[in-house]
Amino acid sequence: MAFFILRRVGVMALTALCLTFVVFFLTNLYPNLEKLAKTQGNARMTDAEVASWIDRNGYGGPMILRYGEWLGVVPGWLREDPVNGEWRGRCLERGQTPEEAPRYCGLLQGDLGFSTVSDDEVANIIGGRLQLTGILMFWAFAVMVPSALLVGVLAGMKEGSRMDRSLSTLAIGSTATPEYVSGVIFIVLLASSTAGLSPILSELGWIDGRTLFLGSARSAMEDGINFWNFTLPVMTIALYGMGYIARMTRASMAEVMTAQYIRTARLKGVSFRNIVLKHALRNALIAPFTVIMLQFPWLLTGVVIVETLFNYNGFGWTLVQAASNNDIELLLACSIVAVFVVLVTQLISDIGYVFLNPRIRIS
Amino acid sequence: MLPTTNQHLETHPVAEMYADEYKSGQLSRREFLVRSTALGVSAAAAYSMIGLSPALADAHMVTPPMGGSLRIQMEVRALKDPRTYDWSQMANVSRGILEYLVESRADGTFAGVLLEGWEANEDASQYTLRVRQGVKFNNGDDFTAEDVAANFRGWCDATVEGNSMAARMGALVDPETNQAREGGIEVVDDHTVVITYPGSDITLIAGIADYPSAVQYRDLIGTNVLDHGVGTGAYRVTDYEVGVSARLEKNPDHEYWGTAYLDEVVFIDLGQDPAAWFAGAEAGEFDMTYETVGEFVDLFSAIGWTQSEVVTAATVVIRPNQNNAPYDNVMVRKAIQLAVDPQVCLDLGINGQGIVAEHHHVCPIHPEYAELTPLTVDKDAAAAMLAESGHADHVFEIVSIDDDYRRNTTDAVAAQLRDAGFTVERTVIPGSTFWNDWTTYPFSSTNWNHRELGVIVLNLAYRSGVAWNEFGYANPEFDALLDQANGIADADARREIMAQIQQILQDDAVTLQPYWRSLFRHYREGVLNAEMHPKFEVNIHYLGVEA
Repeated sequence: MAFFILRRVGVMALTALCLTFVVFFLTNLYPNLEKLAKTQGNARMTDAEVASWIDRNGYGGPMILRYGEWLGVVPGWLREDPVNGEWRGRCLERGQTPEEAPRYCGLLQGDLGFSTVSDDEVANIIGGRLQLTGILMFWAFAVMVPSALLVGVLAGMKEGSRMDRSLSTLAIGSTATPEYVSGVIFIVLLASSTAGLSPILSELGWIDGRTLFLGSARSAMEDGINFWNFTLPVMTIALYGMGYIARMTRASMAEVMTAQYIRTARLKGVSFRNIVLKHALRNALIAPFTVIMLQFPWLLTGVVIVETLFNYNGFGWTLVQAASNNDIELLLACSIVAVFVVLVTQLISDIGYVFLNPRIRIS
Repeated sequence: MLPTTNQHLETHPVAEMYADEYKSGQLSRREFLVRSTALGVSAAAAYSMIGLSPALADAHMVTPPMGGSLRIQMEVRALKDPRTYDWSQMANVSRGILEYLVESRADGTFAGVLLEGWEANEDASQYTLRVRQGVKFNNGDDFTAEDVAANFRGWCDATVEGNSMAARMGALVDPETNQAREGGIEVVDDHTVVITYPGSDITLIAGIADYPSAVQYRDLIGTNVLDHGVGTGAYRVTDYEVGVSARLEKNPDHEYWGTAYLDEVVFIDLGQDPAAWFAGAEAGEFDMTYETVGEFVDLFSAIGWTQSEVVTAATVVIRPNQNNAPYDNVMVRKAIQLAVDPQVCLDLGINGQGIVAEHHHVCPIHPEYAELTPLTVDKDAAAAMLAESGHADHVFEIVSIDDDYRRNTTDAVAAQLRDAGFTVERTVIPGSTFWNDWTTYPFSSTNWNHRELGVIVLNLAYRSGVAWNEFGYANPEFDALLDQANGIADADARREIMAQIQQILQDDAVTLQPYWRSLFRHYREGVLNAEMHPKFEVNIHYLGVEA
């Protein structure tokens, strides 16, 4: 087991290394550096000014060396201003001289670098943003998993029944509706004071505010989450994943229900309720467990859309900001986080599988 | 207290002449105010010269009650050296700390902020700036003429990448050293600075009222105000998260020279999508928009917000770049101009929220605007001209940014060209990459902000070889006339030259410039002094909320 985990950590490091190199390579293509120069310098700089900016801010020179600087295996760049003799460099704070600053400052030294778009250290930004996304994901899971399992089990109990057909249609419908569609529909139906349900409810005097729910989750970040401001983003994410998990649970449940031991139990005269709860359920939940763990990486892409749509400044939103502004080091940090989340959830999934299914061994 | 201008000139010989022109109907009130206040006459005196009550000058400003908090929806961008600001949003945040020497008001007048007043000599080559007394920086030091001179030297430093102030300083920058001209900036005493140009320059005051000209402490020129927070304004930044929000509060350790009303101002960034702003407004997340655009103007009004409109010289140009074939051929450009009806662009591009323009980038609200014979639109003639030029089978690719009104206007142009028989391809590029090559696309659209004088934008964008010349336009005759116009403070004389300049721009078919935009802003009931400004300025010192 220990060896297995160690090997997984090794794979994770290697994946992160490859992925960050790809991201680094793409964000360091000249047109992207030019974009960076223009967002950081002036949107309307001339080509000569762009070249000078790129060189002055340490984006010149071979790409592989700069990747090494980011990793922390190559000393950070240093440059003396020819006019006023001030030193600038990767590892230098404002006004520091090269002697005072460390030579290496990269990932290995625990320095995630500097976010150009936010004008702050990456480490200061990413933590808070991840926390916000964590809250959103927690609630999304809290809604999605129980409801998906319930729908899946109910549908799979009696394959082909009317309940199975209607719940399956529901599940397929929800998983076929991407977040950017369901989110917009939710906003129009439930969070507009001029369209959808809110004007009607407001006229009837059933709701106090102008809208049933808020179409923006911004207040959730400052004033704390409540039913009013967090329902729509959570529902938008949960609905998409719910259908998929429900389908998987149904398939697994339906399969278990046809197994020999279920028939035996039925012949023995065990009640249907007890068959489902005591005999079928545990075996039926093995497959959905993996699917649920797989939903974590899926949710990471889902939050990109939902956080942008609902103006919730979490990890997904940060990723969009970093990408659209070519913020190299913030993007790299986001990549590492993404790799970490994906591989850790897969590790948990594999280990959990062993406990759920004694027939499987991993080492 | 709003900045007073009691030490301004009471009169000026040229201003007297303008007053006569106004009375004889040659100048509009707005034009008269722009020109006379630029010469150093106080707004009040200018109004009285033309027999109007000065109370009109700030009738739209009320004195708000003290205290309160206001949330403004606006992009929160990373701040940097103010000279390199490329978005008015940056200045709107830093304006709470870094004030300006002069401000331009929504009615076109200039008023002193950190200057008490200024005078121009007869040919507008020398300006005497009188520095406001009793102003302190929040580090305890007095604001003096030395600070003004240091800022001018900083603005003239053309070696700084992206320093757009250097272009605004014009001939004050020595082209040899790329620094301020020797003897151009002279500190006479603690409260007087004299700026001397080698020739006439009428754009100085407009230049130092523009948003990159924020005044910094003498030793901190070229720094980011977030790093030190030193300035003369009444506020300080407590939180600043790019793309999320910025919070300013009244600085309790600083004695502000004027009066600031609000205790707290929060700028909230809801991204670039107006639909998200609207959702935020419905959710009650802010009290005032920075700008309301397109169809959302009506939507915001529909949910009961107060609308504020200002007509400006902000515009969109859809221009061919003459460095690219076939746009080096004047007949092709002429054919494009003939095929496009500006009225259609106005209606389809911005819902008719503006007035029609004449493809020469000088607006009727500019003082030197000359009226030319109206343009004709003739699609058949356009097709014939295109055929004659030999480029009839060229595929015209028109690039635009992926944004509401610029994309729609460009689409309107493309549709009209297709109607006239051109083969047109449309390319839409996201805002994040569009600006990489904005000056070099063969045929693309660009938005230009309002500027106070007609010559300013011509100097910035149409003169041969300047950085922002996205037209690839190089015409020595035009340059010579523009030089001449830059040196004429007198209104009518300059208009004669401008008539020629505008005519040349039309004859050379340099660009399509179909309309002038009105700008809109919305605010909730109870927000005071939040009227839209032609240059998107928000001065949080003036804002207030009803108790």
